[in-house]
Amino acid sequence: MEVKTSKVRTVLAYILLLILTFLCLFFFYILIVNSTRSHAQIMKGFSAVPGKAFVVNLKHVIHDANIPVLSGIKNSLIVSAGAAALATYFSAMTAYGLYAYSFKFRKAAFIFIMLILVMPTQVSALGFMRLMDNMGLLNTLWPLILPSVAAPAVFYFMYSYMQSSLPMELVEAARIDGCSEFRTFNRIVLPIMKPAIAVQAIFAFVQAWNNYFIPALIISDNKKKTLPILIAALRSADFLKFDMGKVYMLITIAIVPIIIVYILLSRYIVAGVALGGVKE
Amino acid sequence: MASISFKNVVKTYENGVTVIPDLNLDIEDKEFVVLVGPSGCGKSTTLRMIAGLESVTDGELYIGDRLINAVPPKDRDIAMVFQNYALYPHMSVYKNMAFALTLLKEDKNVIDEKVHEAAKILGLEEYLDRKPKALSGGQRQRVALGRAMVRNPSVFLLDEPLSNLDAKLRTEMRSQISKLHQRLGTTFVYVTHDQVEAMTMGDRICVMDKGVIQQFDTPQELYDNPCNLFVAGFIGSPQMNFVDAVVEKADNGYALKFGETSLKIAKDELADYVGKTVVVGIRPEDLSFDKDFLQDGNTIKANVDLDEMMGSETLLYLAYGDDKLIAKVPSPCPAHTGDDIEMIVNLERLHVFDKETEQAIVNC
Amino acid sequence: MEKKKGKMNKIKSVDYSKWGYLFILPFFLAFFIFQLIPLVSTVYYSFFEYYRSGLKVIGPTPVGLANYKALFESDFLKYTGNTIILWIAGFLPQIVISLLLAAWFTDLRLKIKGKQFFKVVIYMPNLIMASAFAMLFFALFSANGPVNHALVNMGILKEPFRFLSSVAGARGLVALMNFLMWFGNTTILLMAAVMGINPSLFEAAELDGCTPTQTFFKITLPMIRPILVYVLITSMIGGLQMFDVPQILTNGKGTPDRTVTTIIMYLNNHLYSKNYGMAGAVSVVLFIICAILCLLVYFNLNKDDTINATRKHRGKKGGAK
Repeated sequence: MEVKTSKVRTVLAYILLLILTFLCLFFFYILIVNSTRSHAQIMKGFSAVPGKAFVVNLKHVIHDANIPVLSGIKNSLIVSAGAAALATYFSAMTAYGLYAYSFKFRKAAFIFIMLILVMPTQVSALGFMRLMDNMGLLNTLWPLILPSVAAPAVFYFMYSYMQSSLPMELVEAARIDGCSEFRTFNRIVLPIMKPAIAVQAIFAFVQAWNNYFIPALIISDNKKKTLPILIAALRSADFLKFDMGKVYMLITIAIVPIIIVYILLSRYIVAGVALGGVKE
Repeated sequence: MASISFKNVVKTYENGVTVIPDLNLDIEDKEFVVLVGPSGCGKSTTLRMIAGLESVTDGELYIGDRLINAVPPKDRDIAMVFQNYALYPHMSVYKNMAFALTLLKEDKNVIDEKVHEAAKILGLEEYLDRKPKALSGGQRQRVALGRAMVRNPSVFLLDEPLSNLDAKLRTEMRSQISKLHQRLGTTFVYVTHDQVEAMTMGDRICVMDKGVIQQFDTPQELYDNPCNLFVAGFIGSPQMNFVDAVVEKADNGYALKFGETSLKIAKDELADYVGKTVVVGIRPEDLSFDKDFLQDGNTIKANVDLDEMMGSETLLYLAYGDDKLIAKVPSPCPAHTGDDIEMIVNLERLHVFDKETEQAIVNC
Repeated sequence: MEKKKGKMNKIKSVDYSKWGYLFILPFFLAFFIFQLIPLVSTVYYSFFEYYRSGLKVIGPTPVGLANYKALFESDFLKYTGNTIILWIAGFLPQIVISLLLAAWFTDLRLKIKGKQFFKVVIYMPNLIMASAFAMLFFALFSANGPVNHALVNMGILKEPFRFLSSVAGARGLVALMNFLMWFGNTTILLMAAVMGINPSLFEAAELDGCTPTQTFFKITLPMIRPILVYVLITSMIGGLQMFDVPQILTNGKGTPDRTVTTIIMYLNNHLYSKNYGMAGAVSVVLFIICAILCLLVYFNLNKDDTINATRKHRGKKGGAK
């Protein structure tokens, strides 16, 4: 009896999984198919078969003066790489500061970071905008990169990792060997943190790549816009003039690079989600 | 000169707990000193204060003539071997051993020479390119030693370096470390909770309990003349037997009486204790069946609970009234589990302690 | 000789504590500049009348709580309702299916093959740019889009369904996107939580005669309660911030009839029209709600953390056995 219900549940499980897989993959399949078809083909109807207009669509998108895709990609890359680098390096540094040293406000500092762990940045968007304006940083990429120095979620991940993987004896041995504190951090601690840094760098990169709300408030110059802002611009453009091939191609450019990186690193990324446990 | 001196040193942690109330300790240059005691006695803390890994709350700490309270570890000319080896996991054995010299920006050839020399002495030459995770426990231990050796320090600190090794390796490494001390001729301070290690390796042993030095003496002295109950019970395996006895006056001296046993002892120090109860200490090896030691009344009648044959010796676990005693006799042993026997006490090797102060009154 | 207590010059000892301050300085400096000051500034402006009328700038003039009054008299409550509805519509399926999948994936008796493949697939949407995702859905579900084409061709529909013009359709699409983007993440989190439960508990339950369903409700769920609470609250905070998807889907208008307008969309409108006073008020109200939820998360995290304590991390101890 038990074996039978087990089998029934297994079948049910597979059915549900297949439905979910379909939902997850179907839309992207259509996306890629349509990015290879011309506008006329797309308007004619639905097709599960790819077309031959990939290069044509790509050319149209790149040469569209209103949507500077190439600069968009460049800006997104700069922002994402910068944010990932700053977030991981300084989170590791902050985690190390609270892990390896005892000082008066250590506990308070830690509690403080835990309190702001899930506080979203949108609530201070207004003040942020005005501050960047006053600092003359509006319409530059700096406001999209610099705040990553304070990334509580990444900090917590690094701190947890240190608790399980960085015995203080290593630091003590380095001190006796004559290593200065800062050097110990860079030459001994960081190499040990490599797995954690790798995982968090990926997440930070993706988050920065996809970020829309606040960057849209900061950047108004077309040439400085990142990809999400360009997508929004596309949406608010005149609908009748749409070349649907271009639309699908632009979306593909925004999404597919991340997908490819993900597929290559999927094992580590999925493991990283579980490792970080409750805190992302 | 690399002598080490603690003068009235106090160590209190941030939470207010004082682990070391008032430490006065003088270690001589080139000596091999072992700090030994039960968990929490303060031996590791003391070692780490010498290293500079723990701050000195009050008092003065000297290496040679230098007051080093505020001197950072790297300027103290010391090296340390950790219990868990603390090898840098992302560096090869060679790089681990060369690290300190690399930081000092020494000439590459000099570093190479020194590392290879140490590696040769420790038998590590074929492992120089490996990373720590590819080494066994004993090999990692030797790398940790090598890393310390290469720096040629004036003080060598070792924090329970052998606790993570299996018994056979431990014996092997013990002799290696002793030979290393002879070869290098530097001051060694060694922490362990294992009294066998302490006894075999140290020039002098510092027995500590609850942050206080109980006795600081050579192994033989600690064994022959323990100054209090704690030291007497800590040194020696199996542990010394303790029995309460009453002091009585007897012809030519005094007698320690318990049960039917009367131990004659002619020491004047017992004069103040007539009529009082004292603690008599008898080492297991000083209980025997040898009739040569038989004197008037120096026997103990007991029942054998268990006999353990250890090879050349046998341990007899005896029930004596409500007390338990252990005797160590040569094998083969005539007595077995369940037997009622009579053991003879070697009167030349008795220890008597004050029951309240636990201090030694007499060590024969 | 008496030991001098309370000496005038106490001998200094080796002290590393200043390094602690140095190492955490960048974080706190960045936080102070980029989050704290903006927050204070936001709260400050919420008490001012400060907006643009045509080309003129009105204000800033202090008006106390006038902005807040205007806020609650506007459609703000409607938008809050929208936000909550949109969140729940996505979250309910998300949590149910995630629990289901987590239970099945960790059930040793159900031999589900290809777990790694499924995990990779369901997590993927989490990495998709939400704005691009919404743009994609806008194109796919438009009256003349592929989905309608397919449905009509297959005979399921007689004529194209205007997803984006119907309340249920538009909201449903937003909910579907949110669901797809997050259920994979939640599943993996819950899986890790379940795997952190001591297996002997399950073995004991089996010996006691528990069916899988009973085990799930009586043992698994209670043991992962802290993580469930964490997921709930963080999802709620995320839900309140919902912006990218509805904004792009409806081009900021919240059609049909502003039933898809969220709180942040409302805030965004004020920021764009440079009505700083109202934007401040919205931000402050949102901040207060999120701060309360933040505290809930904090206290939940600090409660019995057995799940996290028993879970072993894969780190290597350098050089030690």
